[in-house]
Amino acid sequence: MNQMFERRDFLQGASSGFGTMALAMMLQEDANAERAVKVLHHPPKAKRVVQLFMGGAASHLDLWDHKPMLEKHHGEKSDFGEHVEAFQNGLGPWMKSPFSFKPYGQSGKMLSEVVAPLGECVDDMTFIHNLVGKTGVHSQATYLQATGFQRPGFPGMGSWVSYALGSINENLPTFVVLPDHRGFASNGPKNWGAAFLPASSQGTAIFPQRSNPIEDLTPQADFATAEGDRAGLELLSKLNRQFQTQRPDDSRLDARVRSYELAAKMQLSAPEALDISGEPAHIMKMYGLDRQGAKYPDTINPAEEAEYFGRKCLIARRLLERGVRFVQIWSGNDNSFPRRNWDSHENIERDHGPLARGMAVGTAALLKDLKQSGMLDDTIVLWTTEFGRMPSTQGSKGRDHNPYVFTNWLCGGGVRGGLTHGESDQWGYKPLDRENPTQVYDIHATILHLMGIDHKRLTVRHDGIDRRLTDVHGHVIPEIIA
Amino acid sequence: MRRRCAINVRGMKQPARSSAMLFSCGRPRIMAVVVILVLLFVPLPKLFGQVDFVGDQVDFVGDQVDFVGDIAPLLQRRCLSCHNEQDRKGDFSLQTAESAKADGYVVPGDAMASHLLEVISIRDGKSQMPKNSDPLKADQIQLIRKWIDEGAKWPADLQLKESRVSNFEWWSYQPIRRPAVPPMNGDWGRTPIDAFVMQKLDEKGLTVSEPADRRTLIRRVTYDLIGLPPTPQQVQDFVDDSDPQAYERLVDRLLESSHYGERWARHWLDVVKYADTCGYDKDKLRPNAWPYRDYVIRSLNEDKPFSRFVQEQIAGDVLFPGDPDGILGLGFIAAGPWDFIGHVEVPESKLDGKVARNLDRDDMVSGALNTFCSITVQCARCHNHKFDPITQDEYYGLQSIFAAVDRAERPYDLDPGVEKRRQALKIVIADQQKRLELVNAEMEQAGGARLSDLRTKLKALEEKVNFEKSPEFGYHSAIAKRDDLQRWIEIDLGDSVEAAQIILHPCHDEFGGIGAGFGFPIRFQVAVDGEESDMTVVYDRANGDVVNPGLEPIVIELDGRKVRRVRVTANKLAHRKNDYIFALGEVRVLDVDGTNRAKGKPVTSLDSIEAPVRWGRRNLTDGQWPHYQDPDAAKSLQVVKRELAELNVEIETPKRITERTSAAKKLAAAQSELAKLPKGKMVYAAATHFKSQGNFHPTEGKLRPVHVLHRGEISQPRGIAAPGVLPLGLDFSWQMEADAAEDERRAALAKWLTDQQHPLVWRSIVNRMWQYHFGRGIVATPNDFGRMGAIPTHPELLDWLAVEFRDGGDWLKAQSMKSLHRLIVTSSVYRQRSASAEANVVLDGSNQYLWRMVRRRLEAEEIRDSVLQVSGAMNHTMGGPGYYLFKLERTAHSPHYEYHKFDPRDAKSHRRSIYRFIVRSQPDPWMTTLDCADSSQSTPRRNETLTSLQALSLLNSRFNLVMAEMFAARVAKDHDSLEHQVRDAARLVLQRDPDDQELKSMTAYAEKHSMKNLCRFLFNLSEFIYID
Repeated sequence: MNQMFERRDFLQGASSGFGTMALAMMLQEDANAERAVKVLHHPPKAKRVVQLFMGGAASHLDLWDHKPMLEKHHGEKSDFGEHVEAFQNGLGPWMKSPFSFKPYGQSGKMLSEVVAPLGECVDDMTFIHNLVGKTGVHSQATYLQATGFQRPGFPGMGSWVSYALGSINENLPTFVVLPDHRGFASNGPKNWGAAFLPASSQGTAIFPQRSNPIEDLTPQADFATAEGDRAGLELLSKLNRQFQTQRPDDSRLDARVRSYELAAKMQLSAPEALDISGEPAHIMKMYGLDRQGAKYPDTINPAEEAEYFGRKCLIARRLLERGVRFVQIWSGNDNSFPRRNWDSHENIERDHGPLARGMAVGTAALLKDLKQSGMLDDTIVLWTTEFGRMPSTQGSKGRDHNPYVFTNWLCGGGVRGGLTHGESDQWGYKPLDRENPTQVYDIHATILHLMGIDHKRLTVRHDGIDRRLTDVHGHVIPEIIA
Repeated sequence: MRRRCAINVRGMKQPARSSAMLFSCGRPRIMAVVVILVLLFVPLPKLFGQVDFVGDQVDFVGDQVDFVGDIAPLLQRRCLSCHNEQDRKGDFSLQTAESAKADGYVVPGDAMASHLLEVISIRDGKSQMPKNSDPLKADQIQLIRKWIDEGAKWPADLQLKESRVSNFEWWSYQPIRRPAVPPMNGDWGRTPIDAFVMQKLDEKGLTVSEPADRRTLIRRVTYDLIGLPPTPQQVQDFVDDSDPQAYERLVDRLLESSHYGERWARHWLDVVKYADTCGYDKDKLRPNAWPYRDYVIRSLNEDKPFSRFVQEQIAGDVLFPGDPDGILGLGFIAAGPWDFIGHVEVPESKLDGKVARNLDRDDMVSGALNTFCSITVQCARCHNHKFDPITQDEYYGLQSIFAAVDRAERPYDLDPGVEKRRQALKIVIADQQKRLELVNAEMEQAGGARLSDLRTKLKALEEKVNFEKSPEFGYHSAIAKRDDLQRWIEIDLGDSVEAAQIILHPCHDEFGGIGAGFGFPIRFQVAVDGEESDMTVVYDRANGDVVNPGLEPIVIELDGRKVRRVRVTANKLAHRKNDYIFALGEVRVLDVDGTNRAKGKPVTSLDSIEAPVRWGRRNLTDGQWPHYQDPDAAKSLQVVKRELAELNVEIETPKRITERTSAAKKLAAAQSELAKLPKGKMVYAAATHFKSQGNFHPTEGKLRPVHVLHRGEISQPRGIAAPGVLPLGLDFSWQMEADAAEDERRAALAKWLTDQQHPLVWRSIVNRMWQYHFGRGIVATPNDFGRMGAIPTHPELLDWLAVEFRDGGDWLKAQSMKSLHRLIVTSSVYRQRSASAEANVVLDGSNQYLWRMVRRRLEAEEIRDSVLQVSGAMNHTMGGPGYYLFKLERTAHSPHYEYHKFDPRDAKSHRRSIYRFIVRSQPDPWMTTLDCADSSQSTPRRNETLTSLQALSLLNSRFNLVMAEMFAARVAKDHDSLEHQVRDAARLVLQRDPDDQELKSMTAYAEKHSMKNLCRFLFNLSEFIYID
């Protein structure tokens, strides 16, 4: 089944006068006024971030973190040397990955066959295999990775970055979210909400596959016309200006008049950014978009995954080029059945296979594309998920949650290449050095650091506490900075 | 010379960058142009009373280092949370001189040899200790070095303690006294409020503003009190009213309106985090949250005394038994988010389950204390509060008040008679269960060693036997209450068959621990017929009880007899669990060649439980039945079971059987009556008794152990917390009995929260109400009266209002929120114009001393309600379940809330916004854009932002488009002339007549581009969404 919509309809709709776009947009006198951090705390290496979030918990063991010991002891009774609290009942025998691994690049990084397209990029990537979480519960863990707190009510990393640095191009939102096309992962939009930050720093969700990718982009009413909208805006501007001049002391009223002007500009910019019809054939192929219009089977399959994820990656690149500061791309929706996320309790091969193959095509294309244009130098790409999966089996082919260790990788924006920083133990059960794991706070601190921000100085007082992305934790990881 | 810290501020003095720096570097950053009023209003550096730790800047001079003054506070703050006697991280404690000086950490007189100095010294900007934290400052290390070199003097018996704030010298902890109302000059002022405000204005050299005109006034006060626009007629009447009391009468009318509760309940629900779903993963619906929302609306409309309102929300069930409001109010405790997975899917025995429950109690504690006391008690979850005098022990003492409480549905409107009967039945049930247990125990005892021996054997054999069964168990009759009833099944072979054998296979079901031979009849017959003959019994066990065969097949030899139909009749049914059934796994009819001729043939029966795949008639001839792979073990198993059954017959004396039957009968009768009692309407509230769901079980009042958690970590429990409220430096008993029951604990909390002497509660509520009228509180941080919060701009006014509200007086009815509203909105301060005045702007640009009224943008709900109202779409039905603004899909697992699939024409949604169904994890995008409160966090005050997104939503959202159509249709109904329609529309939106120029340009636009488009743009007028 192909849900891809006709791009043309969308563009035609958008061009009819004043289109609506649900974009979070701060008003500003000039490029500096909108940002909370007026003067960067130190020289930055990066300007933009792409965060790839695998909903449901992607297995480090089957993608990035090769474990020869599991191959050797496959099928033997697992022995962790201590009591393990499994989330469900995933303490069966050791299980090797159903996928084969081989080395790539100068660095010889071992990658799983399902992420083979990223083999060409490993020398630009830093892998961190000793991430630890705090909980095996999806919701809390997703919040933790997305917002730095285990519970709802806190701004996402993209919101903090937007709040701190503002937009590069005021005609586009600062923080864009591309959710999984099937729906939201755990917590839904709360993962990119502004919480107590200004509403303008919230993530703007765009659904490229919908006929109306940005809700309210165009007035969906037969009485609205391009000409009527233009004239209506003029009339509105006149009346609002009149109201404002009678109240000259109130800058809000002036800002409000200008908000309509700015919105009109965005209405033109956004469809252009989302329109991939002018991309050359080799680029479309690289992103897995060379089968447009193909019919796909009902069961999960790599080609369809590649097309959906690849489209989001290509749109991400276009948004970044046009000045979007932070793009968050999701793979996997909620935990319903059949599995359409990374929560492979039953069968790693069945779910991780197509999801990973699809994710790897688009991701590799994005990294290579950014690199060839030079943008990778100041764009950080972070791959993350809520936690890892156990080295032992659940059922006979699945893996249970493993909040005790998992993998992140980063690329570009001043991050070193060809590096593995922080190992998991021989089984991939916990960090090799349990005393010195990496936590999400360290990842967030490092990303802010690369953007010229001291994570301890980016604070907002809320209900009596100076809140920050990294709570009271976090250390920049100097080893991974080039 | 002794040096204290560089920052040592006592009382209310403005410090330089304050000691806040110790704990979090940085401060709120303000954007100049983005209009975020809430941030603009937070004064940045806070005022501090003295706290008993010292600052980081230590000027080192040549004198001897003072351990108590300089070293101890440093160690307490930076080291002691891990290196204390209890935790001894790294097997090292700094709590006593003895432990500090052990193992070479501190070698008196020799800093170089002291290991302590090695671990705190800085290399490459980092130090080993404090772990995961910033290194000590160089001058601090230098100080420690000097202290050691000087002999590491440590006063005898001095034990260090983790740093804590114990100072109550802060405005909000001081007792409330009624200040004298300042004298007023001139005739400007009307109320004591004006006197207090005037006094401050005089002090600051500010002057008051002119009173607002009547059109402005009626718009302002109508939105303020009921959240809706006045009609053009109401405006006209008020403008024309010559009665000097016209305004007072208007205020009275508004306060009498039931729309008042609808408007002001919204403020309260923002603070308490009300939503109609749980939030977190799956975000399940709370279909019965709304009775609490309606309770708040009704309580406000009834002007319920505030103390009563507070008490109902904390312990209404305890303090006002029998009153539905006492239960409805408990929706307060349950209003916030709840982790379904952490409670239902993860058992409480696991760490994740404990974490979920800890966070859940934290939400209850912070909800109660933030809301009623305006203190950030939750800061003390991981350590003693850094700024306010609240210790970690006290925080967990508050948690233990909620130790037995969960969030769940509970009935609230029960008939006392029904309740009495329910309690009586529960006693009967408990008694009969006891009787049953007793007779069972007696039989156990009678069975003695032989019984337990047989059971052991049974268990071993059952493990050995390799048992196979398909998911299709077999046939299961309807359930009978007696065993002497007949049940039959019949198989039609289709043709007459020369049958060699009929084989009956018993079935297997673990239900009730029965297993093999489940439902096999105690007495039965098998009958057959040929092509035409009558049924003949070929196997008769109808006259004596058979021993249950387990899974052994019953083989009936027929020697080639002609058979067309086979009927099995149970004459005495098998015992299940206090009831009786007939069940069978398979019936085979083998012909002389050994072929099963019954396979796949139709089955009829007197009755049947058709519950595919497990149970169904067709399972009897599906060729599958449970069997053992190890037949030898199976045979031994059979023997053991037979012996057990025989033993049971010995044990089950007639007397015992009578006793058991009698108890079972009474139990069943009571249970059935209980099930039929009216259940009452349900509300989602704090509860200790409710229906279990997965791993989520009611405590039934049993208190969970609540430990003080080191660093807030479940994995690091310390001692059991003693239940208590906060001491607040006052002379009242704040600790509860350690064994106080669940309800006593909440009742004590409720009483404390309404204590006349409470320094926080009364100030908190009047400040909140003030804020909603004036856009900012007398204290600008309504949830935080602590040292990180703002200080009052008008402290005397705040206290006067608090006392007058608490006790009543010349101006206020005690505890009456409506009378406080009336006082505020009839004050001269409130009636001022909102226009600016240059001279005042210079002195007080943010208008914190109220030299004018505040212009404000309407809130999200006010905008939506106004659009509905002026369009003529509004349906003012009150209360009931929330209406959806989304399409709800896939509720079984993770509900999907699809806003983009919703049709805003749906008339069910044309009601006031307070009644919408609020989804916690996926809030309504239109409302969110307009700064609606986020129900995951307490929102004491909304942001007011200005974004292009708002412009876009108001112009092009499907809601606005549909309303524009309805609005156009409404005005077209009354007038044919377009100009009249335009004038009407403008009046409805602006509550004034458009001037000629406006009318002309609007009419011209409508003529060319339709009235619908004009209406659409009218919703976007600044004059519509701003209140002067």
